[in-house]
This record gives sequence, C-alpha cells and structure tokens, in this order.
Amino acid sequence: MSRNQRIGLVVVAVAVAVVAFVIARPGGGEDDNGSERAAQTAPAQTETGAAEETAETQTETEQSAPPEPEVSRIRVRGGTAVGGVQRVQANKGDTVRIVVTSDAPDEIHLHGYDIYEDVAPEKPARFVFRADIEGIFEIESHVAEDAGRDPLLARLVVEPS
Amino acid sequence: MIPLAHGFVVRSDLPIPEWLFGWAAAMVLVVSFVALAVLWPDPRLQEEGWRPLPRGLGHRLTSRPVEIACAAIGVFLFGLVIYSGLRGTQTATANFATTFIYVVFWLGLVPASVLLGDVFKAFNPWRAVGRAVAWVARGATRGELPAPLAYPRWLGRWPAAAGIFAFAALELVASNGDRPENLAIATLIYSALTFIAMALYGVETWIERGEAFSVYFNLFSRLSPIETRGGVVGYRRPLSGLPALQALPGTVPLLAVMIGSVTFDGAAEAPLWTGIAPDISSFFQDLGLTPQTALEVTFLIGLTAAVLLVYGFYRLGVAGARSVGGGFTTGRLAAAFIHSIVPIALAYVAAHYLTLLLIQGQAVSFLASDPLGDGANLFGTADTQIDYGVIGATATWYWQVGFVVVGHVTALTLAHDRNLAIYDNTRLAVRSQYWMLAIMVGFTSLALWLLSQANT
Repeated sequence: MSRNQRIGLVVVAVAVAVVAFVIARPGGGEDDNGSERAAQTAPAQTETGAAEETAETQTETEQSAPPEPEVSRIRVRGGTAVGGVQRVQANKGDTVRIVVTSDAPDEIHLHGYDIYEDVAPEKPARFVFRADIEGIFEIESHVAEDAGRDPLLARLVVEPS
Repeated sequence: MIPLAHGFVVRSDLPIPEWLFGWAAAMVLVVSFVALAVLWPDPRLQEEGWRPLPRGLGHRLTSRPVEIACAAIGVFLFGLVIYSGLRGTQTATANFATTFIYVVFWLGLVPASVLLGDVFKAFNPWRAVGRAVAWVARGATRGELPAPLAYPRWLGRWPAAAGIFAFAALELVASNGDRPENLAIATLIYSALTFIAMALYGVETWIERGEAFSVYFNLFSRLSPIETRGGVVGYRRPLSGLPALQALPGTVPLLAVMIGSVTFDGAAEAPLWTGIAPDISSFFQDLGLTPQTALEVTFLIGLTAAVLLVYGFYRLGVAGARSVGGGFTTGRLAAAFIHSIVPIALAYVAAHYLTLLLIQGQAVSFLASDPLGDGANLFGTADTQIDYGVIGATATWYWQVGFVVVGHVTALTLAHDRNLAIYDNTRLAVRSQYWMLAIMVGFTSLALWLLSQANT
C-alpha cells in the first residue's frame, strides 16, 4: 500500500468515527426530556408537593408528573434505610428535595454538596438544594458511622441535563 | 456492607451512556483493522535513538545538588506521612497520610511518569536512605563493604508483583485500609522489608527489580519521551522505551496484577459483583468468620480472581499466537509481547482514577496546611475546599473513552512492531498478529464494559 493510500485510509477512518459519533450522540440541547426521565427512573419514594407536609410515609407516585416539586423520601429505621440503600435521581440544574425521617436522633450528611441536617423522630430532615454538580454522592448517617456500622442510606445521582 | 477503603471517594463516576459505549466499541474494531493496514511494514521502534537534552540541561538536572534536594523532599514527605498517620486524626479524609498515599503518590505519579520520565526514582525515599546509608558505611569501613548477593534470575520482577498485589489488597480488600494509622504501619513494614532487601542485593538492583513502586512507575515512564541514562537526562522516540523492557520472570504476573486490580476495583461497583459478594460473604460467615473478616476474604477472592482472569486471558491469546507456528515457546512469546500491554494498563488506571485524582487531589491544598487534621493552618490554606464540579460527567466520559481507545492503539502499534521484529515470515507475522489483536480487543472491551457498569 502506498503512502497516499495509507493516509487516505486514515482520513476515511477518522471521518467514519466522527460521523458515527455525531449520529450516535443523543440530539443536541433542544429536546429536553430530562425532567421526564427523572420522574420515571427515580426508584426512591417520590410524592407530590401537596403530600409533603403530612407525616405520611406511604408512597404515592404520580405518573402524570405535574410541575409540582418532587420530594424523595428516605425512611431510616434502626440506623438503616427502609428498603435498602435508596437512589435519588436528578438532572443537573434541578432543584432536589429530600426528606429524611428517622426513628432515632441522627445527623444526615450529603457528601460532595456537603449539607448536614439534623433529624429526630418527630422532626424530619429536609434537604432542598440545586443539583449543580454531576456525579454520584453518598447520603450517610453519622450515628451509624460513629458506631462503626455501614452509614450509607442513599445515593444521589446527578446526570448531565 | 461494611465501608471499605475508598471511603474517601466522595464523588463517584456515572456509568458511560450506552451510545458512547457502543460507539467506542465500534471504534476499537475500526481502529484495529485500519491500524493493521496502515502501520509500517518494517520494525521502527526497536531502536530508541536516545539523545541528551540540549545545552547541558541533561547534566544540570542530575547534578549533585538537584539529586540531594529531590531525595530530601522524598524523605521529608515520607516522614510526614508516617508522622501524620500515627499522630493525626483517624478520619481518612482529614489526614494527610491517606490522601497522599492513595492519590498524590499512587495516582499522581502515573501521569508524572508518563510525561516526565522516571521521576519517582529521583524522589524515592527508600533509595535515598539506602544510598545515604551505603555512603556512610563505605566511609566507615574505608570502602570494604561486602559485595551484595547476586540477585537470583528466577526472582525477576516477582517481588514487585507481590508488592503491588499487597498494596491493592490494602486499598481494595482491607476494611480499614484507609485508616491513617494502618497506612503508616503498613508503610513502616514495607520500608523494613525494602531496607533488608537493599542490604542483601544492593540498592540499585532492588530498585530496578524488587521495589514494587519503583518498578511500577518505571513501567509507565517507559512511555515517556524523557529518560535518564548514565546520569544524563535525554529524550528518545516516544514509545521506544517499552520495546527495551527486559521481560524478566514475574513481568507478566506484574502486568496481570496491575490490570486485574483496576478491573476488580471497577467491577466491585458493578451489579455483577455487588450481586454475588453478599452470598460469598455469608458463606464464610456460616463457616464462623466475623462479618468483617468474611467480607475481606470475599474481596480477596474477587481481587485474586480478577488478576488470574487477566493473566489467563493473556496466556490464552499467546497460546493462540504460538499455534500459528514459527517455533516459539508460549513463555518466549508471552515475554516478547508483554511490553505492549503496558499502555493498556495505563489506560485502565487513567480511565478509572481520573476523577479521583482531579477531585481528591485538591485536598492536598488544605491537608498541607493541616496534615494532622487538628486545626493547624501552616500555610493559610486550611480552609480551602474541594471543587467537586471541576470536571463534568460528560467531559469525564470523553476522557475515559479517549484513554481507553488511545491505549488500545498504542498497544497495537507496539505489538505490531514486535511482530515484525521477531517473525522472519510475513505470513506468520500477520497470523500471529490476529491473536495479539484479539487480546487487545478483549482487554479494551473489558475496560469499556467496566466504565459502562460503574456504580450502576
């Protein structure tokens, strides 16, 4: 194969790579289906804003996704999250609301965003913040950590918007 | 599950999206076959073409004052790690020792070695102490030190492979492996072993073959265009440092440990492992182990399995290459191509630890001011904070995939060049190359799969 043929082959390969990349990549910034995705994929218990103020602990997922703020609830019993480690899903830029209830006094720490909230049996901890850092962050119980137990309650997953 | 080391990873990576995984996997195949078609028909990398840096710079960089300054920095940092580990707070994230060992030293020296050559050799505290002791001892005995023992040939790089495995086990298996005190004690034990081995076999011999971290960083520095030779810093053709790698016994296992430990670290976050680990662990608990020990045994099994898997896969590919003929033994072929796996090992490390280095590396700023975590503020930087948004998820994905694809191409190039060098018969060379290609595609696909499974 001559030198020119080699260069030609490399150019073709690069072109194929670039075209494939452009085709494969999900559409540009215009179709923003981010909020929809968040509502569908968040396995953490979600409720609509109206129910937020009640101390209700049962889930009630609204599929018709009104523009009400969503609240992710984490229930802590005996130092661990009910139903195992929870997953709170968000897209970058979303306002995230997390309410943690616990049967014992505790301090809840959201890593990365570094937000600490106290919780007590009659006083849920409320986290309200803007998800402006992408990645996966742990939400931990400091009482469990100090006792040498696994402190992980939930993971906050922030995806690119 | 009991928190394992890496508890100081605050921001974990999102898995790469499916479309990017698919694109990258397709690219690996396209690139592979294009590379086979366009790469040079005669060996080109087997000669290094080393030249000293211009204008006497090559000599000045290795002059005695520079050498002593680097050694002193290395010994000082070593001392600081031990001191803060033993005396400082035992919260991993607030102690200088944990972040320095796992991030600055273990991860930071990788890009430094690739870009600047074997910098760790200049700062290596064990080498510095060993040389200083030898210098004093020579003075005291008027040059009548007994000659070191001959280094056994069969030992090769086995001590390094064992050392890196032990380090990976401390990081990924031991449940208190990020506890500063444990790190300080592990460092002291390792130091004692290193000094004994240096006394037996000579400082430089042990640094070259046995001292795990010297051997590890030296492997990556072989990708660098910069190399110190005969006390002079010079430059060489990029990649040409790897073909010169002597495949001493233990080199293939060392590479298997390097790739296998990153594989395990990645897979440990994937459903495949998080699904079966509790079962294995409860099996050992039923045998009477405590939950913590059972979990450690489980992770040790996982780490060992990952290393053996990587080793077995490489040997399998080599057995295939042998089957095409040419009269080589499997051992000879395994040794002949192992240098081409180094860029893949680098890609694994770079893709998996990019964000940890960029994010946790920032902690050095406040840890330098407050190494013990006791509220000190030596340089006024104790209140700085980590910017967790320093690199977005999308940028991380592109860098990760970029590292994997570039590592793949580099490995193919090196293997291709070696193929041309060892086979006289072009037809055999081409056929054996398909086997090497299969090995590379296997390792690269595994790397991409791990990225796509991260933390799911």
